[in-house]
Amino acid sequence: MIGPSIVIKGSVTGDEDLLVEGTVEGTIELRSHEVSVGTSGTVNADIYAKVVKIDGEVSGDVSGGEKVVISKSGNVRGNIIAPRVTLEDGAIFKGSIDMDPGDAAPKKAPISAAKPANTLAADDMAPGFDLKSG
Amino acid sequence: MTTTQPSKLMASVIPEPLEESRITVLHIGNAQPETVDFFSNYRCRLHFVDLFAELPIHDRDDNLPSLAEQFDGLFSFPKSTQFDVCLFWDIFNYLDDDAMFALQVALRPYLGAKTRAHAFAVHNLRSPRNEKCYSVRSVDVLGEKPWEQPLPGYAPHNQAQLKELLTDFELIRNVLLSDGRLEMALGARVHAAARDTDKTRQRVIL
Repeated sequence: MIGPSIVIKGSVTGDEDLLVEGTVEGTIELRSHEVSVGTSGTVNADIYAKVVKIDGEVSGDVSGGEKVVISKSGNVRGNIIAPRVTLEDGAIFKGSIDMDPGDAAPKKAPISAAKPANTLAADDMAPGFDLKSG
Repeated sequence: MTTTQPSKLMASVIPEPLEESRITVLHIGNAQPETVDFFSNYRCRLHFVDLFAELPIHDRDDNLPSLAEQFDGLFSFPKSTQFDVCLFWDIFNYLDDDAMFALQVALRPYLGAKTRAHAFAVHNLRSPRNEKCYSVRSVDVLGEKPWEQPLPGYAPHNQAQLKELLTDFELIRNVLLSDGRLEMALGARVHAAARDTDKTRQRVIL
């Protein structure tokens, strides 16, 4: 978890789920995991993850290998790429949504489920978070 | 509170979801959960442009952006974008003649022969003011909810005026609703589209 008082400028990578309650500027790349932006979280960064849940503010492109969920308190300005996107009532979104990220992407129907396009094997990721200043 | 209304024409505007085909959609207005959910059945790219939040849209003082510049800024899509579906909802009721023209000029590079569009208008100027925020629940059912506050710039065009103002779209079919609104299915006119864009844009700036 990145706490409310933490500010990170740079690239965040790793091999576990992440909750952002603080501020991140740069890139968040956890392609095999879930990234949650909490209600107090502010992300000015592109996010790459398997699942992205947004309750706070995001300014940047969001790529979800499986799905992206913007909750009623979420505010997103950017483009979303994911096979499945859910916007809750009250969510604010400005940008475009691409629900065809690639031929391997699963569609709800009638195409059968397939491996998420942007998911890397766990071995490709280093354990813990790697914070590169930039 | 969201209510629903039937649509007789949306099915002629939005194609069936096919596994091999991908569609590109322009949704004028803020992103609605139902619309996103509906299009998640498609291989698609959805562009949301909330023109309603920009109202009133009209020519401003010399020091401010022209109508053409305003729309160019709002319609900053990738160059390769070509819309299959444009959902205008009732935005035409809020745009004056110049803004209608500027909107269509700005959209022109992104229209193709197969582009279809949906809009609401009024049958005549006596039709009651009926302002809603719309979404797609299915091709037969639309969601609608009232705006929290009346939107500025409401100045609808009657059916004949609107037909004249639609330089880049032709009316395929319309349906008169019981409350005096018109539901319209439109098709893009591809008349030397991109080639003329620069000339007409100069006209708007002038």
